[in-house]
Amino acid sequence: MRKLTTALLAGLVVTAGASAALAADKTEISAARFFGACEADYGTVTDVTKANGECGIITALINKFNADSKTTVVKPEIVEWPGYDQLTARIRSGEPPTISVMHEAVISDYSSRGLLEPLDEDFAKAGVDVNDMTDAARQGVTKDGKIYAMPFDTHTWLWHINMNLFKQAGLVDSAGKPILPKSTDELMKQAQQFKDKTGKPYFISTLANETAFYTRTFDTLLYQQNADFFADPNKVNFSSPEAKNAAQLLADIFAKDYTTKNQDYAASVSSFAAGDGGVFICGTWLIDTYDQEAKKEGAALSKGYAATAFPQIYPGSPRVWADGHSWVLLKQDLSEAQRASAIEFMKFLWDNNYEWSRTGHLPVRKSIIDSDAFKNLPHRGDIASLAVNGTALPSAVKRQFSIQEIEGEEVGSAMRGDKPVDQALTDAETRVNELLANAK
Amino acid sequence: MAASEHIVGRGIGNKLILFTVVLVAVIWMLPIAWTLLLSFKPNSELMISTASAFRAPYTLKNYTDIFQSSGVFRWLWNSAVVSVGVTVGILVLSSLAGYGFARAEFKGRDIIFVLVLLGLAVPEQAVIIARHQMFSDLKMHNTYPAIILPGLSSAFGVFLMTQYFKAIPKDIDEAAMLDNASRFKIFWKVLLPLTIPAQATLGIFSFLGAWNDYLWPLISATKPEMFTITVGIASTQTNFAQSEGLGFLMAQAIFAGLPVFVVYLFFQKYIVRAVAGAAIS
Repeated sequence: MRKLTTALLAGLVVTAGASAALAADKTEISAARFFGACEADYGTVTDVTKANGECGIITALINKFNADSKTTVVKPEIVEWPGYDQLTARIRSGEPPTISVMHEAVISDYSSRGLLEPLDEDFAKAGVDVNDMTDAARQGVTKDGKIYAMPFDTHTWLWHINMNLFKQAGLVDSAGKPILPKSTDELMKQAQQFKDKTGKPYFISTLANETAFYTRTFDTLLYQQNADFFADPNKVNFSSPEAKNAAQLLADIFAKDYTTKNQDYAASVSSFAAGDGGVFICGTWLIDTYDQEAKKEGAALSKGYAATAFPQIYPGSPRVWADGHSWVLLKQDLSEAQRASAIEFMKFLWDNNYEWSRTGHLPVRKSIIDSDAFKNLPHRGDIASLAVNGTALPSAVKRQFSIQEIEGEEVGSAMRGDKPVDQALTDAETRVNELLANAK
Repeated sequence: MAASEHIVGRGIGNKLILFTVVLVAVIWMLPIAWTLLLSFKPNSELMISTASAFRAPYTLKNYTDIFQSSGVFRWLWNSAVVSVGVTVGILVLSSLAGYGFARAEFKGRDIIFVLVLLGLAVPEQAVIIARHQMFSDLKMHNTYPAIILPGLSSAFGVFLMTQYFKAIPKDIDEAAMLDNASRFKIFWKVLLPLTIPAQATLGIFSFLGAWNDYLWPLISATKPEMFTITVGIASTQTNFAQSEGLGFLMAQAIFAGLPVFVVYLFFQKYIVRAVAGAAIS
């Protein structure tokens, strides 16, 4: 018995030693990311197909990579969204992570200061086919002709629709599809019809405590009118008739009570699930959540949920606001092995982009958009066009997060009637241009 | 007759005051009770409606998930080290400075005191970039000293201790001097024990301030192993925590507030005295 115990202990020691040696042979890189922590549910999951949600899928992806890679260990460093104050502080103190998640709208702020490594050659060597990137993704990660990031997803604005209320309002066609407006006049008529038939507002909107709704919807309405409001990347133009049209439309929707009011993000998400309105203009990431609601008996969305691309209500174009998550390699004194490991991990994420698209975000690869696997995911066939029509601000525009904040504040003032439309647009233009004049 | 009417009137008055105080206390407690209630609810239910908080099912999963986070005990330890370090540092420096300003005669004393008080008017955000660059140049970020040292410059602490020392009669110093006590001995053995109530007040506020601090640890302690509990817990939130993870968010709020709650429990006598003293002065 004692011999057996000794042999078992010896075996354990040898195994542990071998594991440690193997781990020590691997190159460690750090990956800063948001998306939260969910070690309780996914800390040891390496089968990515069993993970759900942003946090679950990214955790499982990193687990799987670490289990499979013979050369690299990725150490996740989780930060609070969006994490740019912390990232900038780390760069300044000379201790940046090896790679980091970054919104594509932010890349130009860092690339223009020489803080990111261009990745074209690395991708070519690693076998990443950049021609397989969707237009939205490639535009998002390309600055001054160079690719600065591995695109991870495209997220855009779309319409979540309560089909049960749409039926009640007589806004469903014979094929069971929602009847959507094709012009601003139709939009206002349908909104009135919806209100008359259901007693509820047509829209549920996130109008309180954040500016995303205003900016993203306003930009979408400008794109639809082909308004080139950043013809000069250093100067915005909100003095156009198109800008006035867009802001006035939002103000009219508010004034005629076609939308819920005073709801913040959480309230509006709940409100749509509770059946308080017909259309919730929000992001791709809510598709799976509402799809689960639609499967519940007795829920407001029970067997009555649809997601569709933002309908084109101006004759110009079907383009829609978009941004994307991507992975960047921070400029620092990296060894060849560390750089190779970073690219190896990025290539792994590229290869597994379908898994990430299960979050509701759109894939960044044309081949995945066209695949049956993606099309068979709930509602994805109805929104695949967004990968083509999703449009970011021109890459040369700096301080995009700050610009969007200002734009949202002023458009929000116009929509709620706090300021006349003309005044709000003038103020937005002045404030953005002051910001850009000081942007280096 | 008049006396009994007076007593009855006083009784009604007392009851009204009591009722008002209880009402205000209940209103004050409502957000905390609501937070506590939501923390025991599954996230998926709260996403659809927070009204579900008033009915089963309830769960402890939000709390167990906090403990599953690999860094949480390390973050608690970091917060404890930082909070104790800041508190002890402030007490030592503020007592010495307060004694100096209150008792020592030296050139420019009043101007220096005013300069120190001006520190009360400078918000942390105004100096944070310069401070960050300084610690970067010293290569001190992601260390305990980097998180602790900026917290030691407490203008409030110096002011409080100065005023407290000034309120102690100088006769006590003079009596000790007659007994050949050195200036340090007078400070250490005679005056400092008399300032214990002020020390307790300052210590409690300093500890709570350091424990709850978020901005400076966020940009100085950027490696997960150096996060304090406030930064660490914030990092575990999902992007849409307020809708998708509301129960977890509330459990985090309760968890992070527990040590502060314990401090209040043990030191409430001093806190009440401190607040009352501040109101009177």
